[in-house]
Amino acid sequence: MVKKNNHEVRDPIYAFVHMDSDERQVLNSAPVQRLRHIHQLALTYLVYPGATHRRFEHSLGVMELATRIYTTVMENRCTDTLDINGGYDRNYYLRVLRMASLVHDIGHAPFSHASEDLFPAGWDHEVMTLSLIESEEMERLWKRLKIQAEDVAKLALGPKHYTKDIFTTTEAILSEIITGDTFGADRMDYLLRDSHHTGVAYGRFDHYRLIETLQVLPKRYEDESMEPALGVESGGIQSAEALLLARYFMFSQLYFHPIRRIYDIHLKEFLQAWLEGGYFPTDLDDHLSLTDNEVMSAIGKASRDPRLPGHEAAERIVKRNHYRVLYTRNPNDVLKNREAGLAISTAACAEFGEENIRHDRPKKSAGRVMFPVLELDGRIVSSLSRSDTLQHIPEVAADTVYINPDLLDVGRKWLEKNRKRVIESAVEEESE
Amino acid sequence: MMKQIQRDGLLFELIDEMKEQGSWCGETHIQKAAYFLEEMMGVPLDFRYVLYKHGPFSFDLSDELASMRADALLAWEIKPEPYGDGLKTTKGSTQLQTKIPRTMARYRPAISFVAQKFGKRGVKELEKISTALYVTKEMPGQDLTVRARRITELKPHISYDEAEKAVLFVDEMMEDAKTVIAGEVV
Repeated sequence: MVKKNNHEVRDPIYAFVHMDSDERQVLNSAPVQRLRHIHQLALTYLVYPGATHRRFEHSLGVMELATRIYTTVMENRCTDTLDINGGYDRNYYLRVLRMASLVHDIGHAPFSHASEDLFPAGWDHEVMTLSLIESEEMERLWKRLKIQAEDVAKLALGPKHYTKDIFTTTEAILSEIITGDTFGADRMDYLLRDSHHTGVAYGRFDHYRLIETLQVLPKRYEDESMEPALGVESGGIQSAEALLLARYFMFSQLYFHPIRRIYDIHLKEFLQAWLEGGYFPTDLDDHLSLTDNEVMSAIGKASRDPRLPGHEAAERIVKRNHYRVLYTRNPNDVLKNREAGLAISTAACAEFGEENIRHDRPKKSAGRVMFPVLELDGRIVSSLSRSDTLQHIPEVAADTVYINPDLLDVGRKWLEKNRKRVIESAVEEESE
Repeated sequence: MMKQIQRDGLLFELIDEMKEQGSWCGETHIQKAAYFLEEMMGVPLDFRYVLYKHGPFSFDLSDELASMRADALLAWEIKPEPYGDGLKTTKGSTQLQTKIPRTMARYRPAISFVAQKFGKRGVKELEKISTALYVTKEMPGQDLTVRARRITELKPHISYDEAEKAVLFVDEMMEDAKTVIAGEVV
């Protein structure tokens, strides 16, 4: 009897995700299976009920998209600027890229980014991902696939987070296919998938057309530089614009939604009280045993019992009695004081007590709107000189102050009276 | 540790001075100049750098520049070929600088020094020079030949002769920098 070697998984975004039997062993490993129990968007489902999707399907999606990008880029032949020589094994690196895509998120703690700060010093989800990629269980699988753990880690984490070694130009481009801020498969998949599940339609863009036009191009418009980057043929510029607009809208509508963000804060407060020592474990077995399921069960219990640690935060989550928005970022305030939210928060804490005020100023990776574009006549130009739209896509920023719902009315009155004075008088002073 | 307002102000000053020296201040120019400001001149901007496609690169600095655009403290400046797209300061960033006079006075000599050295240099040249400083920091005390060879290992498209010239430039610049660094300590 012939044993089936190729397998497919149905996917709401790409119809099918394909893999072979050896790759399926990686899919079936404990670190990847755990992702079935880690929500992609933490407690966002409390605001957008459809957002119940998990890191597991996202990881499959990234593997599928990265494969399509790699295949296109190699077929488009524009790889002269890479250090690909006779020794370059195209199939080896395809395998590494696919596996790196599949495991790029295995280090996430419960509820993904919402609880990232609760790793002990020196740890974050990328460090945990690296430890798992190098673990005994995964090493056995890499050996079976005839690939090196180090190569998988490099492409999965990218040069920002894999600092053990310097990246060759080719490795830098391959990791850009997964982790890149403009055309990375991770970003493309989360925009498409989060949009699909939340019903926020702004996240959609023509990824089919975009991928068809991707090329590795030297940034010749920068003093004849030969530095390669992922770029597009001129015919793909509109789909690239759509991707970057999608990112803008998804951040402003979904990822930085103030109620979604306050649930992250209450969740973190619960975890700080509930976790031993206030931090996530770094032992690999303990990490693998801890998912959203264990945390949600504990939140349920704590919400019903005032004696349990984290009761107040748990109750706020379960009863939807979250802190309310007191102040949101305003461009005019930013011109007066870049840290306007901090100024309001500090003054509000003095007025109402620290326990009644929360401040949120999320950081996000730069949205890179500058990339090379291949013109029909063979010139390579900057996307910004080619597209008025890209020049005008704003960067999204959030700066929000929340207040205990019991104090919302009095808080609003206080802010109305003191807002101007607080923002203008609290400009940060220089230190020695 | 420097406060954000101080770090912001110094970056704005660096961009303005680079422009005065003839740079179109693309992100690569700013990245390399900030790297020298920190690693050679000892200005504690506190950005972490990795050796990337085009020499030392800080993802944190890149995010910070984007955040400054979000707050209307920097804006794109699109120029026709042969110039690339650059960043420019705004009214908001100029206002911010007036709030940190002591910081500006203390570090302006270092900024001017780097801007003078880098303002007229193109991206390809900056890559070689900044990689030379990276290697010099990576292998302190090593002679010119060893460092030049290391550059060609890390960046195979840079020839040995080019690498040697870059290391010599960095050594000379380090010597010149000593006077500036000594002068700014108050």
